[in-house]
Amino acid sequence: MLKTILICLFIFSAGCGTKKERKEERALTIYQENAASWVRNFNPLSTSGTARWPTSSGIYEPLFIYNSMRGEYIPWLCTDYKWEDNNKTLIMYVRENVLWSDKTPFSSEDIAFTFNLKKIHKGLDTRDSWGYLESVKALNKTTVEFKFSRIYVPGFDAIVGQPIVAKHIWEKIKDPLRFSNPNPVGTGPFTEILRFDNQVWELGKNPNYWQPNKPEVKKLKFPAFPSNEQVTLALISGDLDWAGAFIPAIDRVYTKKNPEHHKYWFPETGHTTFFYTNTMNKVLKDSKIRKAISYAIDRSLVVKVGMYNYTEPAHVTGISGKMAKWHSKDIETKENWVKYNPQLSNQIFDDAGYYKNKNGFREDKNGDLLSFDIIVVSGWSDWIRSAQVISQNLKKVGIKAKVKTYDFGAWMSRMQKGEFDMAIGWAEKGTTPFPLYRGMMSSKYIKPIGKDADANWHRFSTDEVDSLLLEFEKTSDEYVIKDILHKLQNIFINYAPAIPLFAEVSWAECNTTYFTNFPSKNNPYAPLSPNSAPENLMVLVNVEVR
Amino acid sequence: MSNSLQYLIRRLGFYSIAAWAALTLNFFIPRLMPGDPAAIIFARFRGKLTPEAMIALRETFGLTDGPLLLQYFSYIKSMFKGDLGVSIAYFPEPVANIISTGLLWTIFLAGTSLVISFIIGTLLGAIISWKRGGRLDSFLPPSLAFIGAFPYFWLAMLSLYIFGFKLEWFPLRHAYSDDVTVGLNIPFIFSSIYHAILPATTMILVSLGGWMLSMRNTMLTTLGSDYITLARAKGLSSWVVMLKYAARNAILPNFTGFGMALGFVLSGALLTEIIFSYPGQGYLLLQAVRSQDFPLMQGLFMTITLAVLAANWFVDIAILFLDPRTRK
Repeated sequence: MLKTILICLFIFSAGCGTKKERKEERALTIYQENAASWVRNFNPLSTSGTARWPTSSGIYEPLFIYNSMRGEYIPWLCTDYKWEDNNKTLIMYVRENVLWSDKTPFSSEDIAFTFNLKKIHKGLDTRDSWGYLESVKALNKTTVEFKFSRIYVPGFDAIVGQPIVAKHIWEKIKDPLRFSNPNPVGTGPFTEILRFDNQVWELGKNPNYWQPNKPEVKKLKFPAFPSNEQVTLALISGDLDWAGAFIPAIDRVYTKKNPEHHKYWFPETGHTTFFYTNTMNKVLKDSKIRKAISYAIDRSLVVKVGMYNYTEPAHVTGISGKMAKWHSKDIETKENWVKYNPQLSNQIFDDAGYYKNKNGFREDKNGDLLSFDIIVVSGWSDWIRSAQVISQNLKKVGIKAKVKTYDFGAWMSRMQKGEFDMAIGWAEKGTTPFPLYRGMMSSKYIKPIGKDADANWHRFSTDEVDSLLLEFEKTSDEYVIKDILHKLQNIFINYAPAIPLFAEVSWAECNTTYFTNFPSKNNPYAPLSPNSAPENLMVLVNVEVR
Repeated sequence: MSNSLQYLIRRLGFYSIAAWAALTLNFFIPRLMPGDPAAIIFARFRGKLTPEAMIALRETFGLTDGPLLLQYFSYIKSMFKGDLGVSIAYFPEPVANIISTGLLWTIFLAGTSLVISFIIGTLLGAIISWKRGGRLDSFLPPSLAFIGAFPYFWLAMLSLYIFGFKLEWFPLRHAYSDDVTVGLNIPFIFSSIYHAILPATTMILVSLGGWMLSMRNTMLTTLGSDYITLARAKGLSSWVVMLKYAARNAILPNFTGFGMALGFVLSGALLTEIIFSYPGQGYLLLQAVRSQDFPLMQGLFMTITLAVLAANWFVDIAILFLDPRTRK
């Protein structure tokens, strides 16, 4: 009896479950975020980052998209902009003939409304726009005027990256902070929620999208995956078309199974993963020592062991890839302290008076051992392996450095409070190296040890930087911008506030069995990763059905 | 019967004190963890947010540095009203809604496996002890103990790989297939049973040995008692003696264990859920701890606590019926 039931179940479920969908029915199946069950939330303004992907870059859209692969702004809901009044006013020209997915025309009023909503609800102002804005007004249907309370040109990025919501809908929402927006009305290529269950949800295309004949894909599908192993399995078995997952040994595990259609592309983002050294530490406060530590690190080994050779050793400026256009011309003549040179490292330590004892470990003048902890997030295996390589490297020059792992919350708290000697971490990101150097060197973020610092965890500052940063905020002149960034680079190279480890790459895989025209090395119109909002909008619009 | 009533009321009083203590711990323990939720959410963006966003985040979540005691009283008050608050990791979704996305699945999968495992294990235990030293008795306990000794995640991964990925007999993930409509319809019910087979089997396999062994051991003691000898002397059939006389007494300790396990069903089966991508409480709990989502943690712990206490109370009632001594 039981056997019969089982066989029936098997046949029945196999019949409806595993059959391959016909091509025109196939939904573009995507993995972007981990979940065991989905929670319905499509609020693009929510600070908490709890809205389902691609709410802010798929259902809703920004004014411009910064294309990090080409290093330029792509006009989106706006077509052009200009600075006026000595950079105190920014004028945006709004795209015409754009409709909301409920067919209401989109206009400059929606843009002004979105920004003013952030003014009323401080909790929505994630990018602190109202820290430098004075007013946002729609001058006419196609022009918006942003008046600044203080000149702050880098605010441009935050302004153009803002997802715009519909005035006629959101003006009726009493508490936009706590609004989960279950049935979104957007301008984006995909706006229709076709189904929403705890294990899978589907997003259909916007019938009124402003780009003619796009998107070609009819619907997107999001199955819930709680773990990376499940994602890998789904990729291999062809259940996923597009994913942003870290897969170890990807050539053997993924590509080899189907070389024609299983593709991946891990482009450099231009940013860097850093090795932080706490400048409040009595030994590490000396920039010479920080450079000596950097010389001792064999980055090619770190990249090989820690990162499966998916990336490259970092540049001494902390910027690489497309960001390298900001390097100064004479950059090659500067001290390159990210080069592996243990002899030089030893010599610097000797010169500083830290000699090796009979066990081969260095001591200071009082006979105290130089010993540090490298703190890493537990479970982040790539960083843990990298830290272990660094620990071995440092041992070779006589420095004791122990790898310690902490739960994410505890690690973050130690970083912010400055309660660490050494650590591996990320840095501030943006369209120019400005946020990076500001986060690395601005005295504005420095807090005493034990108090939360939002950036500059290693607590480095020098007088020259603050005035340069201020100058940068006031200019929109490409020439001046370059000049300041070159100066900041030189200061960074001079003081080594933090040690660049390896270039950051974005993980992304695709399966071209059912869909084509994904970005790739030969067709780099955007990064492939779905985690690269808002750039992933360009992928959603341009992917084609085979 | 008034004695029994007194006994039940006394137990109820004890459970309400236990519930209060659990609720209190539930409030304080998460707050001893280092870090704060706004920082964790901020960090999730890995440098893509400006540092000023922290202010906006704290504002959004209404994180206050108010005195702990005041927070505690407002927490107790809202718990009594059944208001579990708003989750931080899934902001602004109410905790109750989030818990409900996986609760039924957890009860379905973990509950069914527990009941099946308990029934089969207890029966097997009774049978093998009856023929002590027989072929079943020398084969089953060591082999089940062997399987039970495997790390669970390894067993589950292996069965997923073999039966799901290689042989394609069972689905690789989820509680139902993507192309059925959720609701009370035949395809959905079939699909969810089909999807539950593999995870449930792995859960039953590892827990079966425990039930069987503890039943076998108490059975052996019981079988030595005088009343069993008497029952046999009366010429009753061996099935009647085994089940009605021996097993009915031997089952008491196992039954208490079952009550405990029933309560813990609600804490979900973390590894099963992660390996088979099954929706449920275990993964939610992990997620809540990782993102320091106090309201969600509290909500989950409270449902678990209440379930454990309620299950125990029901076991108390059941034992009143099973064991006449408690009625005296």
